[in-house]
Amino acid sequence: MERDSQMMRDFTEKDWEALDVQDREEEKIAGESVSLGREAFYQFRKKKTAVLGVVLVLFILLFAIVGPFFTTHSYDEQTLVYVSMSPVLKVYVINDNYYYVTSGSKVIAIDQDGTLGETIRSDSEDMTNKRYVFTIEGETYYLNYRNSPSTLEDTDGNILPTSRVLNKTYPLGTDDLGRDILVRLMYGARVSLTVAFVATLVTLLIGTLYGSISGYLGGMVDNVMMRIVDIISAIPLTMYVILIMVLFDNGGLVSIIIAIGSVYWVDMARVVRGEILTLKKREFVGAARTMGSSTGYILRKHLIPNALGPIIVTATMQIPSAIFTEAFMSFIGLGVSAPMASWGMMCNDALETMQTAPYQLAFPAIAICIAMFAFNFIGDGLRDAFDPQMRK
Amino acid sequence: MARYILKRLAMMVVTLFAIMLVTFLIMHAIPGGPYSAGKRLPEDIQAALDEKYHLNDPLYVQFFDYVKGVLQLDLGPSFRYEGLSVNDLIAQGFPVSATLGVLAMLFTLVISIPMGIIAALKHGKWQDTLISVVTTIGVTVPSFVIATLLEYFLAYRLRWFPIYGVENPKGYILPMIALSGYYLAFVTRLTRSSLMDVMRMDYIRTARVKGLTETQVVVRHGLRNSLIPVVTVLGPTLAGLLMGSFVVEQIFALPGMGRFFVQSITNRDYTAIMGFTLFYATVLVVLVFLVDILYCLIDPRIKLAE
Repeated sequence: MERDSQMMRDFTEKDWEALDVQDREEEKIAGESVSLGREAFYQFRKKKTAVLGVVLVLFILLFAIVGPFFTTHSYDEQTLVYVSMSPVLKVYVINDNYYYVTSGSKVIAIDQDGTLGETIRSDSEDMTNKRYVFTIEGETYYLNYRNSPSTLEDTDGNILPTSRVLNKTYPLGTDDLGRDILVRLMYGARVSLTVAFVATLVTLLIGTLYGSISGYLGGMVDNVMMRIVDIISAIPLTMYVILIMVLFDNGGLVSIIIAIGSVYWVDMARVVRGEILTLKKREFVGAARTMGSSTGYILRKHLIPNALGPIIVTATMQIPSAIFTEAFMSFIGLGVSAPMASWGMMCNDALETMQTAPYQLAFPAIAICIAMFAFNFIGDGLRDAFDPQMRK
Repeated sequence: MARYILKRLAMMVVTLFAIMLVTFLIMHAIPGGPYSAGKRLPEDIQAALDEKYHLNDPLYVQFFDYVKGVLQLDLGPSFRYEGLSVNDLIAQGFPVSATLGVLAMLFTLVISIPMGIIAALKHGKWQDTLISVVTTIGVTVPSFVIATLLEYFLAYRLRWFPIYGVENPKGYILPMIALSGYYLAFVTRLTRSSLMDVMRMDYIRTARVKGLTETQVVVRHGLRNSLIPVVTVLGPTLAGLLMGSFVVEQIFALPGMGRFFVQSITNRDYTAIMGFTLFYATVLVVLVFLVDILYCLIDPRIKLAE
């Protein structure tokens, strides 16, 4: 009796009202349908390394484009008195003032905040004791070059107290010609990014066109076109780039872009061909053909948009490879011509002074590694994002 | 099989001929002769030199002569090293480069396959994470950066190895490591993903059900099948090692072919550039061909006909 009354509760008007639409949606099991691009973006965002890659690339872009406006030095300005000044200077302290001894046995006054000042000339050279005589702030000091590196001593032969100060004039130091490394890194970033983007764009255009024509037409045309690709890729592409660069003879930025762009499309052509080969057998292509669409229209509107995922991934994967090739070329002396800066060239220049000034090698090397990391991360992220197997 | 091999051989000949033609045309399209880079020569000497090297002949005659020379295994005289032929330069450099290449290849395989196996078997554990960090570094850091870092720290700072040259066999160690860097990472990743795929196969489950120990399952059934993709990349890997040796030999001052090649580029030694390119191409094409044959021999499932 008691149980019945509980079950037979009184219904009010309200109970018979229709549920909100929102409540009905809650019952649905399927998610909102999303486009391929949106889904890929979502997958990409979930991957931390890929997001880090994007941040790093934005940072490099900013560094390359905006950086040079904030500096007073130019990339080719040689200040021969400030040759190979390291980012952290070892200075001698005289009456709270800083003095730096260069490898060329000169003394440079340094401000408290690390700004480089004037060069102090020596009064005379004392050849028998292997020392230069300097008058600094009215006192006599000796630069003893019997020691290596030379030391600054007072008249009693005691080595002066030393301190370390950050180089304010050149935060990353200067190279062996007295050029600012920071500014050269910025211009090097411009070169690397320009080569990477333009070469990839060229590759994208030629590769997509070549691959889609070969894949769509098929038969004899495909056979011949793919044999040509086979012949080109029989030896490493870098080899052709070297040969083309030799042909241009110190051509600089434009020629390295042409050189890379003119052979690196073969990978793209292969990928696009493979995609088109499977896509062209699909029903919607047959439908389009039945309705009388031209080959060009089908390629443009149906085939290439559907192969966009792999195309984007391949193009992104080629960016680090283009950056590497440019650095490699500049490193072996076939890249941009001096005084223009390129990371690879800076590495090569720094090899000679590696033992005395390792920072000259470290900075461009780090820059190359960061760029390679960033673009590789983005490439990996995109590849996973467009891979349907990754979607769960 | 025989038909496939014949087809491949024909393709090789076509490829090498095309490469010969392209390099020949590029080298002859360069404005100015091989002597115009240095100081101006008196006209009669220039004419005599042109005569001696047949530079006055029409282009097709020169190409024909060149092909004839190549068929007789004569790559012509070097324009820069007087009295030396391109053959001499290759004979000097190739043993060094080949030693370095083979060492780097062995080093790559010996290190990367076990690393790949560990990463695959410890999938998701700290060993896997550590190996993936190492391989990311290997893939992204260019060989010339690795080479200079090794040289600075191990040779210059710690003095464990000679800074340059191969008079001491220890001199091969650093170039070998620098050269293998990228491929070490590449082969490790490949072994890992391939072994992980294989370990999911039904026959692995069968082997376990049969009562084999885990080691037997991995070594006999897992590894043998997972190494097939690794064999396919041996050809391209070798190509990469040969290319990488350009800078690595330069940095460590090894008297190998890569260094001669880079020098012939800076010297604009056209015959040497042509000769080296052709030699490299031949070595590569032949090696890739051999690897493909090997690939079919170790995996009977693969039919050569396609």
